[in-house]
Amino acid sequence: MTIILDPSASLAHDIADPGPDAGDLRGKKIAIRIDMLWRSWDWVSEVWAEGLRAEGADVTFWRSCGRTGQEGMDADREYNALLGDSDMAIVGLGNCGSCTSWTIADALTAAATGMPTIAVATAHFEGLANNLAKRGGRSGLRLHILPYPLDILPKEQVNDIARDHYRPFLRRFGVRSRLAEQSAA
Amino acid sequence: MTQGWGDGLPLIPPTQERVQDFLIAGGRFPDELVAVLPPLRADCTVEKIAINAVMAGCTGDAMPLLCAAIEAMADSRFDLAGLNATTGSVVPAVIVNGAIRNRLDIPYQAGCLGGVAGPAVAIGRAIRLIMRNVAGQLIGSTSQSVYGTPGRVAGIVFAEWEERSPWATLAERRGVAGDAVTVYGAMGTANICDVVASSADGFLDMIARSMAYPGANGFLPSSAFSETLCAINPIWAEVIAKQYPKMEDVQAYIWDKCALPIDGFRPEYRDPIGNLGRIKPDGRVHLVPKPEDVLVMVAGGEGGLHAAMLHSWGTCLTVTRPIVAA
Repeated sequence: MTIILDPSASLAHDIADPGPDAGDLRGKKIAIRIDMLWRSWDWVSEVWAEGLRAEGADVTFWRSCGRTGQEGMDADREYNALLGDSDMAIVGLGNCGSCTSWTIADALTAAATGMPTIAVATAHFEGLANNLAKRGGRSGLRLHILPYPLDILPKEQVNDIARDHYRPFLRRFGVRSRLAEQSAA
Repeated sequence: MTQGWGDGLPLIPPTQERVQDFLIAGGRFPDELVAVLPPLRADCTVEKIAINAVMAGCTGDAMPLLCAAIEAMADSRFDLAGLNATTGSVVPAVIVNGAIRNRLDIPYQAGCLGGVAGPAVAIGRAIRLIMRNVAGQLIGSTSQSVYGTPGRVAGIVFAEWEERSPWATLAERRGVAGDAVTVYGAMGTANICDVVASSADGFLDMIARSMAYPGANGFLPSSAFSETLCAINPIWAEVIAKQYPKMEDVQAYIWDKCALPIDGFRPEYRDPIGNLGRIKPDGRVHLVPKPEDVLVMVAGGEGGLHAAMLHSWGTCLTVTRPIVAA
């Protein structure tokens, strides 16, 4: 009998649980991971940060730049230090192949600490984000999806999208607040 | 093919017997872990390399090169996670130095970047199948490449024509003597032709200016840094080396001329590029931050007339590793 060997590999483990809810935001430190690619994510996260601060949270931004070589090692140290000083993480933006890869990688790093974590991607890259989360061993990673294309839109339009998505985002993140609960009704 | 293991070309069935023979020839233990490859982040063992290599039509003597290349690609500096998922058309080019070039018949003369018959095609294909089957790089699923590139089928595997290089080899300049593999994130290959120049400055001017086009990833406002690679044919290399016997001077020349005036970019690009500190006092933006980021090697046919440029995808840093015989 001829035996054909399998050339492929697979991961043995998976965490389907989305992790803890964000819960009550009052007094919580929230890390928002932005990047050097997408001005639209800067705008969206500014709008959301304003809302999160209104809920009583303390928001810190961290911008991901070069992730290889010495600059990459420095970035990893900075990011891990930020996570160490935060209660929850919002990580974006998955809006291309490599940036989705890094978004999910950074979200998985945050989720692995046990903190409430949500990754943000645009609709075209939703499948990739889910695949990468699954292949990273955490298929349950929370993901909020923004429309695509996003980055070619003017700031006013992106801000409108950010405001429209704020409540669904809070719900996806498991936030307990008057705003999130009202909109869920 | 129905299992999703293939690339569209016929495959050699990886029977237990064939894989066993390959492993014996390769001289490595099958359960030895070579690397963990993203995006799947699964273990790439010697056995998985052997199975995919058999499917590609490789012979066992390529095992040390395959293992070294995979190890190099898994180095965090290479950013394989980003590279395997990107919308870009990048493929890891595999450049071989040392005596192993000739033992494995890796091409470095005419047609070395594609077209010459030899085992490099199967070696390149084996690496691509490993990326597909072990790393999990699949178009539309994990890879978002908008166009892809022919190099994603059989790879880009070539060597340096060391015997005709007036300079130290690429790998030696990167700190690895002897048999070595260098992996480089190439946005395909493109040709540079010059039938007029006859001097070192003439050749280098044409190479450098051709490499500086605004859509190159190195000029992206999102590229904090990058590298670039050019292969110079042995005829031009000889002329260039008479004027520039030190490679550092060749790199500095290309770096200097491989630049665009910031005024040539539309206004909306200027602030993002400027924010990266990349606009020099003379108002130019260089493709790569430093002269040493220009990688130069000698390869190609004796017909001269052409150089090859391989632009980098971005922040995936080139990695050179020794090839260790079993």
